[in-house]
Amino acid sequence: MSSLALMRWLEGRPERYDAGMRVLTCGRIARLHAAVAEAAVRSAGDHVLEIGCGTGTVTTLLHARGAHVTAIDQAPEMLEQARLRLPDDESIVWIEQTAAEIDRLPPSRFDAVVLCLCLSDMSPNERAFVLREAVLRLAPGGRVVAADEVRPNGWRGWLQRLWRIPQAALGWLLVGSLSRPIRDLAGELQAVGLRVSGAGTWLLGTLELVVGEREP
Amino acid sequence: MSPSLGLRVRDWGLEILQTAFRLLPWPTEPGLRSIGTPDESSPVLLTCNYALTVRRLVATLEGCDAWLVVAPTAGINVWCAAAGGHMSTHQIVSALKTSGVAERVRHRDVILPQLAATGVLALEVFRRCRWRVRFGPVSASDLPAYLASGEKTDAMRRIRFSLRDRLEMAASWAAPTALVVGGGALFIRPEWALPLMGLVVAMAVLVFNVYDRLGPRRKTTFALGASVAALAVTWLAGGAAAALATAAIAACFVSALLTYDYTGSTPIEGGSHFEERRWTIAFDLERCDGIFRCWEVCPEACFEKLESERKVALAHDDRCIRCGACIVQCPQDALFFEDEAGARIEPDVIRKYKLNLLGRRSIDAH
Repeated sequence: MSSLALMRWLEGRPERYDAGMRVLTCGRIARLHAAVAEAAVRSAGDHVLEIGCGTGTVTTLLHARGAHVTAIDQAPEMLEQARLRLPDDESIVWIEQTAAEIDRLPPSRFDAVVLCLCLSDMSPNERAFVLREAVLRLAPGGRVVAADEVRPNGWRGWLQRLWRIPQAALGWLLVGSLSRPIRDLAGELQAVGLRVSGAGTWLLGTLELVVGEREP
Repeated sequence: MSPSLGLRVRDWGLEILQTAFRLLPWPTEPGLRSIGTPDESSPVLLTCNYALTVRRLVATLEGCDAWLVVAPTAGINVWCAAAGGHMSTHQIVSALKTSGVAERVRHRDVILPQLAATGVLALEVFRRCRWRVRFGPVSASDLPAYLASGEKTDAMRRIRFSLRDRLEMAASWAAPTALVVGGGALFIRPEWALPLMGLVVAMAVLVFNVYDRLGPRRKTTFALGASVAALAVTWLAGGAAAALATAAIAACFVSALLTYDYTGSTPIEGGSHFEERRWTIAFDLERCDGIFRCWEVCPEACFEKLESERKVALAHDDRCIRCGACIVQCPQDALFFEDEAGARIEPDVIRKYKLNLLGRRSIDAH
């Protein structure tokens, strides 16, 4: 394929992102998003920091549950799509910045920090930094809600490795992403001092939702 | 300690594979690497996480002491990543904050490849994480001399398209195309597979060594030349009418494929495929305050310094490939794209949406 055709394809990425993710996850993505929103918002009025909000699918669900959302993403095109989904509302703040810049946000401010399908886009260094800083943004008793592609053990892991080859190519074309499954999502949350509870898996254990609670 | 034979064989194998398929992303682990025995005053270099670039850079810097920050750029090379939004201010800020380099050095100066200037806003990096960005040479091979002298010569500022570059680009286009063409032929006429693959390789070498020297109607000239050559070879080999026709069609097809997006693979402006290329660089002299950032980052040396007036002149706009680096870096917004009717694309739009003409091509929506 000509590099021009590839570029043109990826230029429309934000508009194509949601449809692309539905294809890549065989339609399971909607259930994952719903579970993330449910785990993040325990009562209306909760303050939620969403890192890597993308086109705003999860933001919409958090908002529908009555949360005050601070949604950040580094891609201006993605944020534009997200803004189209939700009306101007003072309970949502959109910020264009990287995940690594959450250290500029006030500490102990949020009841929940949501990271949905963005940790696997980060390098190990970035993940460790972002998770450390996320914990510092949590109010006492707050929680990190992380959902991402993980590497399951045993035969499922091998099946995933086989599936990854066409999936990686498809992922690059559909959403312009070269994500890598996280080996131990729960372990990475525990490493920053969170008490972890698993909350669900999808697609033969390759998508996992983990909630890490900060001590009250 | 020199690397073992096994490691050298592996590196050579990777070098050949990644050169042949360099149009694909080849990610390597982002993060901080030490070159030689760096200390807290050693220079900090930053590059993309394209495996080919990182391996060659490390080899080039043998004998130097430096810190190397590898930024997460989706496994894409510096110029493509910078032009396409994968090596932007965001990735640089993130890499500088999370790699741990700040704990290893006392200074806050980081050297980026000059071609990153298309996507990375130096002033914005400083504002957001207090690191001062300097744009080093275009080519990694100039880095040792640059680090030793601290000076960037005019030659280091200009992009070159050497014979080696041309052959590498030919290989990167020929390998996947030959596989597709040869693989397809295996199902139809297996005996044609090898000759067709040979035709693809020969034409790729010709495209990248001759094509840009053919003048304005280069695509037509090249396709005709390739077709005539293919017909001649087939006729001399005793080919029948069907074989002659097939060779001509194959030659047209392959030459059109190889020359279709030539600009994206070279520092040479191709010219005619996109309506958007009616946009040209324009310059507001009144706004210029002689900081010379445009002069510093232009890979085609389009600007000349007017030292006495503290201004620059857009002296060689005919060389401009519209990479947009000068527009992105100018703090006075003195540069922009303009069409013949005088319509402008403002610098902020270009910065935000990567509307350089090497990267994003859609401008109508903005």
